[in-house]
Amino acid sequence: MELTRRDLLTWGGGATAGLLLTPLPWKVLDDTSKWTQNWPWIPQPSRAPIEVKRSFCTLCPNGCDLRVRVASGTPVGVSPGPQSALCPLAFGAHQLNWHPGRLRQVSHLGKAASWNDALAAFRKAAVEGPIAVVDAYPRRAGSSVMENFARRQGGTYCIILSAEERSLAPYAAWSGAPVTSLGYDFEHARTILSFGAPLLDGWGAPGRVPRLWSTGALKLIQVEPSLSRTANAAWRWIQVPSGSEAALAAGLARVLLEEHISPARAPLPPTTVAEAAAQTGIAEETIRELARTLAAHGPAVAIAADGDPAVAVLNFAVGSIGARGGIVRRREGGPSYLTADNLNGHFRAVLIDATVPWDFAPQADAEVFRFAAWNGGGSRAHWLLPAPGFLEELTDVPTAPGSAVDTYAIAANLSTPPADVRSPAGFLAQVDSALPSVEDIIHARCRELFRTHTGALQGEETVPVSRFAAPERLEEALRTGSVWVAGPPRSGGLRCRFEQWPQPTAPRATADWTATWVPPVLPPLAVKLYRESSLREPPAGRSI
Amino acid sequence: MSARYGMVIDLDRCTGCGACMVACAAENNVPALPPKATDRTGITPMLVHKVSNGQEGAEFREAFIPVTCMQCEHETPCVAVCPQQAVQVDPATGIVMQMPQRCLGCRYCMTACPYHARYFNWWDPAWPPGMEKTLNPGVSVRMRGVVEKCNGCHARLHAAQEKAAAAGNREIDPRDYRPACAEACATGAIQFGNLADESDPVSQAAHSTNAFRLLERLGTEPKIFYTSDRPWVRQLAEPHPARGDKEVKHG
Amino acid sequence: MASGTWADIRWIPRGAERTSTGRFALWLAPWAALLALGVYAGWLCLYYGLNQTNMDNRFAFGLWIFLDLSIIALGAGAFFTGFLVYILRRTELKPILNTAVIVGFICYSGAVAVLMVDVGQPLRAWFTFVHPNVHSMLTEISFCITCYLIVLTMEYIPLILRNHELQKVPSFLILEHRMHNIVPVLAGVGTFLSFFHQGSLGGLYGVLRGRPFAFREGFSIWPSTFFLFVLSAIAAGPSFLMLIAAAVEKVTGRPVAKHELLRRLGFISGVLLAAYVAAKSIDTLIWLNVTSPSVGFAPWEYYQFAPFGKALLFVEIVIFGLLPALLLLYPRTAAKRGWLLTGAAMACGGILVNRLVLTVQTLALPTLAFDEFLRYFPSWQEFATFGGVIAYGVILYSLSYRYLPLFGDK
Repeated sequence: MELTRRDLLTWGGGATAGLLLTPLPWKVLDDTSKWTQNWPWIPQPSRAPIEVKRSFCTLCPNGCDLRVRVASGTPVGVSPGPQSALCPLAFGAHQLNWHPGRLRQVSHLGKAASWNDALAAFRKAAVEGPIAVVDAYPRRAGSSVMENFARRQGGTYCIILSAEERSLAPYAAWSGAPVTSLGYDFEHARTILSFGAPLLDGWGAPGRVPRLWSTGALKLIQVEPSLSRTANAAWRWIQVPSGSEAALAAGLARVLLEEHISPARAPLPPTTVAEAAAQTGIAEETIRELARTLAAHGPAVAIAADGDPAVAVLNFAVGSIGARGGIVRRREGGPSYLTADNLNGHFRAVLIDATVPWDFAPQADAEVFRFAAWNGGGSRAHWLLPAPGFLEELTDVPTAPGSAVDTYAIAANLSTPPADVRSPAGFLAQVDSALPSVEDIIHARCRELFRTHTGALQGEETVPVSRFAAPERLEEALRTGSVWVAGPPRSGGLRCRFEQWPQPTAPRATADWTATWVPPVLPPLAVKLYRESSLREPPAGRSI
Repeated sequence: MSARYGMVIDLDRCTGCGACMVACAAENNVPALPPKATDRTGITPMLVHKVSNGQEGAEFREAFIPVTCMQCEHETPCVAVCPQQAVQVDPATGIVMQMPQRCLGCRYCMTACPYHARYFNWWDPAWPPGMEKTLNPGVSVRMRGVVEKCNGCHARLHAAQEKAAAAGNREIDPRDYRPACAEACATGAIQFGNLADESDPVSQAAHSTNAFRLLERLGTEPKIFYTSDRPWVRQLAEPHPARGDKEVKHG
Repeated sequence: MASGTWADIRWIPRGAERTSTGRFALWLAPWAALLALGVYAGWLCLYYGLNQTNMDNRFAFGLWIFLDLSIIALGAGAFFTGFLVYILRRTELKPILNTAVIVGFICYSGAVAVLMVDVGQPLRAWFTFVHPNVHSMLTEISFCITCYLIVLTMEYIPLILRNHELQKVPSFLILEHRMHNIVPVLAGVGTFLSFFHQGSLGGLYGVLRGRPFAFREGFSIWPSTFFLFVLSAIAAGPSFLMLIAAAVEKVTGRPVAKHELLRRLGFISGVLLAAYVAAKSIDTLIWLNVTSPSVGFAPWEYYQFAPFGKALLFVEIVIFGLLPALLLLYPRTAAKRGWLLTGAAMACGGILVNRLVLTVQTLALPTLAFDEFLRYFPSWQEFATFGGVIAYGVILYSLSYRYLPLFGDK
């Protein structure tokens, strides 16, 4: 039998027709729906069960409370805790630890090095001269370790004030109280006159003023040269040329004092209302009306975002110093700290904590040991030391800057750090073995809280401290997300004195919307706000 | 009893912070797109528009309008046009559900949506090494070539349903189901609730005379309501006016 | 004309005059290069994703959809000529029938090829058949175009089988004969399918409730654009065939575009075009005064944005609609070849303007009060794919002309 080409063609045609009658081609087609469901190289989430844990955000000193969803030891989502609201960047913070800019390796002058090299260099420096330690998030347990080290070594510990604390600096100067013990009692204020403080967008905790404002209980008056988001949403936007804020403050004080509509007593400012109107471009009648609003709709408080004493002094006329709804002093004393601006003297080396803004530049000739979890690029530090990132280390959360009451919390670590990171406290403990550990300090603080029997723990319910049977119970409650809240501030606890009306200081540049964000890099999802939409401007001078 | 989930957004309390946008992207495993992406190729299932009143100088004011899928109830434009029924209105919840594994990527639904609430995956999603560990379990990652949009944080609804089922309940506890945007809003401007439940304050707010919807006369019956006391903001619910040199601009 | 040995002479219809293989290859070369570029651009889109184009979330439809709509409208000559010849027995159009079938095949296969690159997930294209959405115009289009492409293939195969070398295989000869017998049935089926998908392509825009610029009321579930698209397609089809015939004559030197044929095609095109202009004008007036204002969109506001000003509406309906209809119908211009072809070109141009306006202007226009008017310009990959389809058409037709007796054996 011969096989001809025709036979092959006939056989082929028949086979094809027959195949179509079998399920095979149809099943293969159907299977493509499964193959195309997702490509193999598309990452898929873990299938581990989700646990919801409580902790606190440590990326800025506000310490907002968090509910964190965790799957197999990795945070997979961030939500606000029961007490708080979060800034936009916090919702992407759980991805920060894998940011391409994450520091995972010690580097010395741009080259890879080891922790032992860094320790050796630091020990040598510690022997050769005093070391300055710079911390932008003071009063943590880790801060205490750093402070201890500096004292024992003969160096200096200094802090960098947050924006809220800078605005309170004049009252610290006038009262002698440490600036870190002062706060604004917004919760009892009815009117806030803000000179340039972006209260609704990047000043203080997002869950504080925005919440109070949104209930409608708070009248917000924003004094600013241009329309910020806060000015846009304020009850009244007072547009004044930059630099004339002090004149407006003086004019308002004059009206309050001359018309005797404020119960406070203070020396009259040198500026008349007419002069204030001329300098600010605001009509005299408007200034008078504004002052009457402050008096009628009190308690009122003025905020000088720049910390300009010539603006802060208005609070004397308003009568908000040491008063409910105004500038208060919290019960806890606390030491006065040296600020980094006032750091004088020659230092052999500077140790900079990870919480310090990336653009901070210490004195030129010291050897700089810079801790950071992310590399913002262009650092002139000699040593870049990888620090723990978001929720990677156990730490505690002192009172937020500008708060009216003392608080304390413990931020549980919920994420496994990379192998080679170390916190400054851990590093310094290897240099000076007599230093206490962070855990020891936290234990001690909890014991102290227990001992004082004051305040209450706010968690699912509010439990007075006196009801806890042992300090360990108190510490356990704190570690699972409760917050210790002190009693209200002493009334009249803040007494300020001033003799003459201060001179205005030069205004600072307006901060952009990422100002409160400490890390030098933004969470990757921040691009939704300025690149994949036109909601915001791209951040200036920030590594994205 | 079937629900009709919707939102009431108070435009007078929205400060335009954008927390809802970031929270939405994190919840739904939306990647940060490559640097070439723009505001026209980005994926922002919750998008806050910055708008102005068109005035000059001291009278200039802005407002912020969060826009998601409007969950249209009547002749839902995208559902009507999808050639392979990859999008459906879920009768139990009223949520317009997009099925990315059935989507062909023809983008007809995107031309149909007057609210521009649909987004196409122009790129494959990618995360830096290790960051994929932070993806939200329970939400599948979409590859390129499919359309996506707000789906009412369906993973959270599932979790609430599982919790209810585990407790032996037929209905979910409303407190267990809150989409990421509503949860993230610091001022409480975004409120989410069941419009079919008369006792739900969100339902009451939506049915008040103060509430309005965007492009209401198109007849799509959106379930996202807005409120505002500012007349110029309420005016923005109307179609594009093209007022010439006094145009209301998209910031 | 011939010189030396022709390498492919055995494939050329007996007795027919064709240019030398070398010159033919030279003719094909630039088109092959354009096709290669188009294929490369298409591959880039399939490999890297649609970010290779300049389409975005606001311009979800772009140059390719415009190409698809236009090419299918112009390819309507295939079904309409078949309808005229086989159903209405207008045998004077027979000489152009084979060309019409091939042009139709090229248009539809080219459209489907571009569509496979345009969609994000081409491997899922068959989902429409398994999960059809009866409310969606696109489902209807998918079904009808698939079926019609099969019909066109079945009409094309007998033409291929008329090649005398292929006819040496007896089964091919028998197949060709059998298929030739059912061609009238295919023509009928093709007419039916084409009516629906040409219309549905118009319905694609007419049902968009969310785009009042495009939305139209109509008859039952079909918006007026459904009928307008059918009418404009059958008006453009014969015009396009006129242009193709004239081009073939120009390139090959063979008198295939006889004046009588052109005049008849022009007459048919002109009558339909006039009817279309009348229908479109009525539809536009209704839309301007009733449909659009009823949903709060002031219609003249659409024309505020350059280059889509009011002049464009005038250009579409009058300059490229009424004017070519007059040119094709008025005896004194219809008597002249130059005017006939000008009219045909303008008729086709009018259809292109209409499809462009509906694809691009609809999406450029703002809907929400805080939208902007947007601009879109295709990327080189989009243009290259477009060019590739045109090149594919030229190559396929050139091969068919060379090897098949399209205009009757000689």
